[in-house]
Amino acid sequence: MSEAVAIDAKSIVQFCRFAREQGLSVGVQKTLLGLRAAAVLGAPASEDFKSGLRTALCSNQEEWESFDGIFDAFWHEAGSGHAKRQAERRSARATDHNPQSSGSLMSGVIGSEESEPGGSQEIAGASARERLRKADFSTLRQDDLSALEEIALRLLRQMSLRLSRRRRIANLRGRVDLRRTIRSSISRGGEPIDLRYQDRRPRPPRLVILLDISGSMSAYSLFLVRFAYALQKYFQRVDTFLFSTSLVDVTRILHSRRLPAALQALSQIAAGWSGGTKIGGSLAELNRLHGRKLHSGDTLFIILSDGWDTGSPELLAAELAAVKRRVRKLIWLNPLLGLAEYRPLTQGMSAALPHVDVFAAAHNLESLLQLERHL
Amino acid sequence: MSFPTPSGDGVQSVDAVVAGFETLGYIADRSLATAVYLATKLRKPILVEGHAGLGKTEVAKVLAAFLKTKLIRLQCYEGLDVSSAVYEWNYQKQLLAIKIQERSQQTVEEKERHVFSREFLLERPLLQSILIEDSSPVLLIDEIDRADEAFEAFLLELLSDFQISIPELGTVQARHVPYVVLTSNRSRELGDALKRRCLYQWIEYPSLEKEMRIVRARLPGIEETLAAQVVRYVQSVRQLHLSKTPGTAETLDCAQALTVLGRQQLDAMTAEETLGCISKSVEDTAKIRAAGLEHLLSSTPEA
Repeated sequence: MSEAVAIDAKSIVQFCRFAREQGLSVGVQKTLLGLRAAAVLGAPASEDFKSGLRTALCSNQEEWESFDGIFDAFWHEAGSGHAKRQAERRSARATDHNPQSSGSLMSGVIGSEESEPGGSQEIAGASARERLRKADFSTLRQDDLSALEEIALRLLRQMSLRLSRRRRIANLRGRVDLRRTIRSSISRGGEPIDLRYQDRRPRPPRLVILLDISGSMSAYSLFLVRFAYALQKYFQRVDTFLFSTSLVDVTRILHSRRLPAALQALSQIAAGWSGGTKIGGSLAELNRLHGRKLHSGDTLFIILSDGWDTGSPELLAAELAAVKRRVRKLIWLNPLLGLAEYRPLTQGMSAALPHVDVFAAAHNLESLLQLERHL
Repeated sequence: MSFPTPSGDGVQSVDAVVAGFETLGYIADRSLATAVYLATKLRKPILVEGHAGLGKTEVAKVLAAFLKTKLIRLQCYEGLDVSSAVYEWNYQKQLLAIKIQERSQQTVEEKERHVFSREFLLERPLLQSILIEDSSPVLLIDEIDRADEAFEAFLLELLSDFQISIPELGTVQARHVPYVVLTSNRSRELGDALKRRCLYQWIEYPSLEKEMRIVRARLPGIEETLAAQVVRYVQSVRQLHLSKTPGTAETLDCAQALTVLGRQQLDAMTAEETLGCISKSVEDTAKIRAAGLEHLLSSTPEA
């Protein structure tokens, strides 16, 4: 194969930079690994060279599958080294890598109605931040979305960190620590008189989230997805489901992709559904097919829905009770609680309430952040 | 064609890896062979990721056979901790020893030193891997995605220094740095620090030709037509969206089952009988039946 770009250390480093711009997580360590791999493989411009770089620079399936395209784009730009020059120009500018905002992705879900004339134009500034925190998700405008996105992610990550710190501080006595007991027993002639205990190792709990994506709930649910995504770092396992008339397991989507790509995939799924909501039916499906996820250990269950159910309230109550039996805490988030006049009078909602531990709103960023004390 | 000498430095080339693995019954494509070659040359751990039943664990086993060295396996699970993975003291033996020593004239320090000596140390896989005397072993850390973050953090330390400190004994250094193979089923995203440190290989479902070669390599006596039927069948089943898509392990199970049953060919009735080799849940079995066994057997899978 003819190569447009000479293969030397410099071009490999530029390739790594190019790869990073295309979304691969290639840092200094991986770049060095790539250089060493190329050195060992010797033979330039062969399939092995490509395989070697791919092995050194990728870290997961998505990067692996996109690597070929990136490799060809850089090394085989028709005789002009075009991509290489692009990379050179970009490195000269040394810009920060801006995470691609997914603000535009939400617009498909949120209606494009004109916002109230009172909406202010400036995004920066503490008062604007306050406004964004309190703004109901379904009323957000296009430009606000990206700003809110940034704020939300930052705050949610901080929440995640606080939660993990909280766990570490809690000190409970656990099992007897045999090793330390024996050591102290040596001076007691072998009798384990002083018992030493192990600090109980705090195990991060699991989280199961069910998001209603029918009709108006869609906007709120897609925002709560960020919540789920950010909390992945803290919880042992976050299982996320979307539901409307039935249940869809989207956990893998959240695991494996960067947030913008995940949100795009999810909004496509959400767009495909219509018709009434079957909360009871979806819960039944959850219990039947995914019961194992609820069973294991310390599980926290969150459901976001306005409680409008086209199925029978008895089914809803029964299935919710079944879930309640298996989890540590059941949190129901209802965006309508954000409205001052709301009372949970619908059949579905009132059937569900007796089984709910925490009934809270989730209509804006502020209410999401307040969930922290329940987690 | 040169064959490798028993140490990693003897691995000559990617070709040698491909050929050597094939001799041992493992069909590796060039990409995997390159990764293995780099892992042995650079002494970097390799993370092999992919769906179930695609030969990830096999890579480590074959590598150990290829390098003529020992395989040490650590099976990860949720809650795996240092005492199960690295070492543990043999408490019962220690308590007995203390009792026995009760009347002896030794000082407390001497008794302590005796009770916390190598004799009373239970070596678990990670410690074993750094204590091997003669040559670098292959350390297989299987299903690392099932262990938790705390264990990953510990593993990172080990992979950078290859030494383990045991408070009572001191620090143990590796005599020979092991070749480390990690496997993951992708049930959760691994930590960045670990991923950065490893070479990576994603194993995909094999193509028709590759799967045929695998069946021929693992079941040498099998009839060509029968093998072709089984492979085509499983490749078609993979197009259905099952909750547990069958891997090459299932293909081999099915082929072997047919041989044991003495069937010359795979027809709908035989497929129904051996459905348990391919499908691992009630829902999947229902989906396969709904798609129609006749149809699956006769359809040519997409390339």
